[in-house]
Amino acid sequence: MDHKLEKILARVQKPGRYVGGEYKAVQKDKAEVDCRFAFCFPDTYEIGMSNLGMRILYGVMNKMPGVWCERVFAPWGDMEDEMRKEGLPLYALESGDPIKDFDIIGFSLGYEMAYTNVLNMLDLADLPLRSADRPGITPLVVAGGTSTYNPEPLAPFVDVVCLGEGEDALPELTNLYRKAKRENWTKDQLLREASRLSGIYVPSLYEVTYGEDGIISAITPKDGAPEKVTKRLVTDMDRSYYPVETIVPSTEITHDRVMLELFRGCIRGCRFCQAGFVYRPVRNRSQELLVQQGIDACKASGYQEMTLLSLSSSDYPDLLPLCDGLLDYCRPNNVSISLPSLRADNFSMELMEKLQAGGRKSGLTFAPEAGSQRLRDAINKNVTEEDLLNTCRTAFAGGWSSVKLYFMLGLPTETDEDVLGIADLATKVYHVWRNNTPNRSRGVRITVSTSCFVPKSHTPFQWEAQNTMEEYMRKVTLLRDNMRNKSITYNWHDPDTSFLEACLSRGDRRLADVIETAWKNGAKFDSWSEYFNFQTWMDAFQTNGLDPAFYANRERGKEEILPWKVISDGVKDSYLWKERKAAYQGVITPDCWEKCSGCGANKLCEGGVCHG
Amino acid sequence: MADQRILFTKSGTAQYISHLDLMHTMERAFLRAGITIRHTAGFHPHPYVSIPLPLPLGFSSDCEIMEFGLVDGATMETLPQQMTDALPAGIKVLQCYEGGQAFKKLSYVRYDITLEFDAPMAPQAAEAFLALLKRESFVVRKRSKKAKSGFTEVDVIPLVEAVEEVRADGTFLYLTLLLKAQNPGLNPDVLLQGFKAEHPEFPVVYSHCHRREILDDRKKTYR
Repeated sequence: MDHKLEKILARVQKPGRYVGGEYKAVQKDKAEVDCRFAFCFPDTYEIGMSNLGMRILYGVMNKMPGVWCERVFAPWGDMEDEMRKEGLPLYALESGDPIKDFDIIGFSLGYEMAYTNVLNMLDLADLPLRSADRPGITPLVVAGGTSTYNPEPLAPFVDVVCLGEGEDALPELTNLYRKAKRENWTKDQLLREASRLSGIYVPSLYEVTYGEDGIISAITPKDGAPEKVTKRLVTDMDRSYYPVETIVPSTEITHDRVMLELFRGCIRGCRFCQAGFVYRPVRNRSQELLVQQGIDACKASGYQEMTLLSLSSSDYPDLLPLCDGLLDYCRPNNVSISLPSLRADNFSMELMEKLQAGGRKSGLTFAPEAGSQRLRDAINKNVTEEDLLNTCRTAFAGGWSSVKLYFMLGLPTETDEDVLGIADLATKVYHVWRNNTPNRSRGVRITVSTSCFVPKSHTPFQWEAQNTMEEYMRKVTLLRDNMRNKSITYNWHDPDTSFLEACLSRGDRRLADVIETAWKNGAKFDSWSEYFNFQTWMDAFQTNGLDPAFYANRERGKEEILPWKVISDGVKDSYLWKERKAAYQGVITPDCWEKCSGCGANKLCEGGVCHG
Repeated sequence: MADQRILFTKSGTAQYISHLDLMHTMERAFLRAGITIRHTAGFHPHPYVSIPLPLPLGFSSDCEIMEFGLVDGATMETLPQQMTDALPAGIKVLQCYEGGQAFKKLSYVRYDITLEFDAPMAPQAAEAFLALLKRESFVVRKRSKKAKSGFTEVDVIPLVEAVEEVRADGTFLYLTLLLKAQNPGLNPDVLLQGFKAEHPEFPVVYSHCHRREILDDRKKTYR
């Protein structure tokens, strides 16, 4: 180990996260490697290692002969200070080598609040932040992940964006890079060729012009770059790579367990949910394969906890046989199974009882998202009050005594009546408890949480204005004043993070300057309350002459050119607009199984048929 | 039948695995290796693993011991390799054997200590260090979770059994010390803190402790 690093480690918290060496971390012989890939996760080790996507791509990339994919995480503040003081550049965990000299640096971007960490990591690696200031092809800076569906705020920093699922696109891009390296291409040549690959967006090949009102007047492709770049996806989940053998961290991470991925996509089509649109269509993994993968992953890792991952696990068609199959192994081997993302219905409740038989009862969490049926219909969240109360009835009768309810405030069409509906619903849940609990003296804990709705790109609400922070706080106060029951706890998220998220998630590439200014003034780890400083961001907007309200609180017109115009997830814009209109009419759209509503994502699959 | 023990080393990146994390790592390694170990009885059974003398974070060791109970099938001959294969880099299982000697017999630890100064002052520092240990008493303030103030005071002199080797080489000072292991024992870091506080004129830029050997009450190798 590098002696400089050894010295530093004695002075930082949790040094284990900075040294690698975990079970199944991949080591390769450098003599047999011609492409070094640094997989960068712009958050802490504990968060990054909990990300299944990263584990999948780490496995996929390391299966390629001649390619060595290593992991890089954002060092916490104490470590960063020490690294800067000692002049230790950002390094990859497997080899300890500085990533500055790597061939490809890939960032996984799951949420907007990690953007400053991307800049910070490039800087810690001793690399110029902007693509234009990195003249050679090495290193090539690549970004992917959900938040790259609007890559524009990071456009000047990254060379290439991989849209959608990376299992196939990333190896293709890597092979193109290797060819470019062998044949001594210029960066222009490589970027041009990369833009010809399916699912690859090269921001520098698009010229964006703005009108006097600040709205985009044109996005013009250059050098033959495509008008539309459509995301990539895995079409057959049974043949796609799943990391049965994966790194087992030696220190505790956030999600320290086997993560079994049931399916991708979601049939529901909740109108606020970006994941529900960008991961379309639904693709299931078969139940037999999942049972095998789950058992094998437990054996390979030694984990005694497993979680079933998907956007809405109750919608997995063979959920019952799947759980039975897993329980046959898990029960005798003391492996516990957790099943998040369940719908509030009695089927789910029975399943929970089954999974937790004999074990401790964890809390119940439901996300009705809105307080009234009218608003739930408007956002297409097909949960009825009756479902929810019935589920609670079963739960309370079965001895549960704690429920968490999640809501959003500021959803399109929301009125004060809808806000008060939240208090009403919480009170009904309380009465259901009183009437059904076997033991009233134990009391009940009902936790209501609200956050401020953030309109996202590629959803029917992408044109919407976000509530101002004042309006959100007014609704919070209204709700708080009307929900006074000592069994009900009300938590609300501060709106400042949501406001900034709204700016970044629908921002254009002018925001790059704002991000850079904020970073220069100390912004990093913006999703961590230890670091987040709202004022730093507001100052950065001001310094660059931009108004955050233009991005967050402005309703867009139907014809407006949106910054992510070039980026397609396969869902038609006209479909999103139709869904938006349906929201205002309070008309629900049936789920994908009940009836295909023709969003367009089926064209991404062979034969144009969604399967699930 | 008494439980079994393994002797293992912990070095390199594994030095940064804390005691608690090591216990989890070991439990998982047994499962990965397909070796069934005894579970505790009681309402919440959990795998029984016990490490008599937790190694502080950042120390390396040639002589860690862990006790557990083999249930069936596993043979002690193949276990060391099976476990080493199932463990993270830097942990090597050397031996598996029947336990028996009580943990409380573990009495002394031989430490190799490395100190690095920011200038070639190791010979002078060595003298100062030895002079400290020759005192009648040398009280060091150390962190304590139990004390209300967060600190307690400990006289280290009775806990240092012997200074076995001292070697000064430019900026590096190498010490081999035999310290009391437990009831009470001495963490060499406490000694180093005492030295740093007493002699700020020798700025330590890096220090490292390595457990070379553990001994019983008769100063024979403890297993």
